[in-house]
Amino acid sequence: MSLSMPPRCLKTEFRKQDTAALLFSAPSIKAADEVSVIPPTGYWRWSGRGTSILIERRAVWVNTGLLLALLLAGIAYLCLGSLTLDPREVISALAGQGDMMTGFMVQELRLPRLVAACLTGGAFALAGILMQTLARNRLATPGIIGIDNGATAFAVASVVGMSVSLAPSAMALTGAVTAAVLTFGLAAGSGTQGYRFIVAGIGVGAVFGAITQLLLARVAIDTANAAYPWTVGSLNARSGGSVQLLGIGLMLGFVAALALARSLTILRFSEATANGLGVNAKARRVQILLLSVVLTALAVAVAGPVGMVGLIGPEIARALSTPRHVPVVAATLAGALVMVLADLAGRTLLAPIELPVGIVTAIIGGPWLLWILMRPQRSHA
Amino acid sequence: MNNFRTPPTLATEALDMGYGTRRVIDGLDVALPSAKVTAIVGPNGCGKSTLLAGLARLHKPDGGNVLLNGEDIQRLPSRQLATQLALLPQEAIAPEGLTVTELIRFGRQPHQGWLRQWSAEDQRVVQHALTAAGLENLADRPIDALSGGQRQRAWIAMTIAQQTPLLLLDEPTSALDLGHQIEVFELVRHLAGHGRTVVMVLHDLASACRYADHLIAMCDGKIIDQGAPATVVTPQLVRKLYQVDCTLLSDPDTGSPLLANVRRATEPA
Repeated sequence: MSLSMPPRCLKTEFRKQDTAALLFSAPSIKAADEVSVIPPTGYWRWSGRGTSILIERRAVWVNTGLLLALLLAGIAYLCLGSLTLDPREVISALAGQGDMMTGFMVQELRLPRLVAACLTGGAFALAGILMQTLARNRLATPGIIGIDNGATAFAVASVVGMSVSLAPSAMALTGAVTAAVLTFGLAAGSGTQGYRFIVAGIGVGAVFGAITQLLLARVAIDTANAAYPWTVGSLNARSGGSVQLLGIGLMLGFVAALALARSLTILRFSEATANGLGVNAKARRVQILLLSVVLTALAVAVAGPVGMVGLIGPEIARALSTPRHVPVVAATLAGALVMVLADLAGRTLLAPIELPVGIVTAIIGGPWLLWILMRPQRSHA
Repeated sequence: MNNFRTPPTLATEALDMGYGTRRVIDGLDVALPSAKVTAIVGPNGCGKSTLLAGLARLHKPDGGNVLLNGEDIQRLPSRQLATQLALLPQEAIAPEGLTVTELIRFGRQPHQGWLRQWSAEDQRVVQHALTAAGLENLADRPIDALSGGQRQRAWIAMTIAQQTPLLLLDEPTSALDLGHQIEVFELVRHLAGHGRTVVMVLHDLASACRYADHLIAMCDGKIIDQGAPATVVTPQLVRKLYQVDCTLLSDPDTGSPLLANVRRATEPA
């Protein structure tokens, strides 16, 4: 343990003790104790009466950096496209000034799509890191174990007008839950660890992918054409209601994930170790699974199966973070960033043709997946 | 600092345990002596690890109870149990890249909360655990870069930081060479010397004789004998447990039983 402490921190601690001494004339052992507390290496410590909070320095820098990068990418996203705008024009359009055309372009076309990109990217990546931690396997993202495809198949069924017609979000949720139940059911007995779980998931995903294709093949060509971009992942075909639902869901899910963060960190150990440390592993795992499935379903209802973001986002977050914790916040931010950049690339690279974002992420994600498979196995998810 | 004034009691009452329909432990009653090192020994598949899993509440009994201080262990909240009883599972895996101190800090988990993440007490206990396990010089070393014995001591240090009066170890030396085994056993003795109750499953009867105060010999899910190694271990018991004959000697330095001339039993036990 490093014995160095930021001088400013030391000063605050001393001052705190002085105040305590002024308020209570009797010397307090607790306060004397507090002075000698050195935060663990790499952390800032904030302490008040009986409370102490640790903030990991690296996490602060990483999250700030990712947030800034997301902000810059967002501005670029609003500037670039069929009509290239100056950042100043964009900012004045956001403030409701400037000419009508620019205002319409920014506020009605690009901004809602940017919001959808941030929300879906964040949700896919958060769902990804939750599932990876649950399964202690970095390949075990909802996209790979078939949950994306399950959600897509059901949602497509409602879009192409099969007899059941619920809102895409509700259908996607039904599909995601069905796929999750199938995957976990088929891998039953062998647990979520090991390759059997992944293989079962890939199988379930393939079946649902085939169902989606079958549904598209059996409807009128125009309906199929309209639904197609969405089945590969696109931010073009989103419905307003499902974006709002995702917004609420991601907000709640993010808070829930933060509340689970300590348990997530401990669940990276074996089940026995986690239980030994006082974490009710069974209950936590069910909560994490539910959260991951719901987030995936809500995101699929908006953008289709862009599951690669669930693999890439957490991977970036882990590469930037320390192994002391599961980087829930960084993964969410990185996912949003990847989605924004991928959709920006899809919109602009081959303009006027627009590449669906799912294809862009697949082009980046494919080699990435190979790289993960070829690299020596890492023990933590 | 780690003298536990009211020693905890851990006992089972008509405990039945198994997997599916296979019964592994059948109506077992045992009370574990406080502030002592107890070793559970027996042949493979005798149910010793299952018993430990039951004692640690990792595996739910089919019948009967595990009682911690007279209370049914199943009724205790997870966190409260983790302040009473620490467990080192057989194959402990750590997230990659974690350092020794970072691993040990996880032992404070049951004592911490959202608003109490790092207290003066946490700092003192982690420092003590590092010292007790002789890891001061390796504090910032990644777990992956340690030798087997050092790694096992780091894991035990994590359970020390948990500050529980009870410590359960599942074959803590199974993958270690002789030197590393001794490192771990001496640490275990040190902990018991400071008032901890240690229960460990061992497959090596010789180490159990040397380092345990109390021996529980199991066969087919039942306890066939228990007590101090010097009184319990007899050629008959060894034959019953492992189907081998042996000559028993007494260690000239410690007086604990030594097994010599171990050979396959000539007649069935």
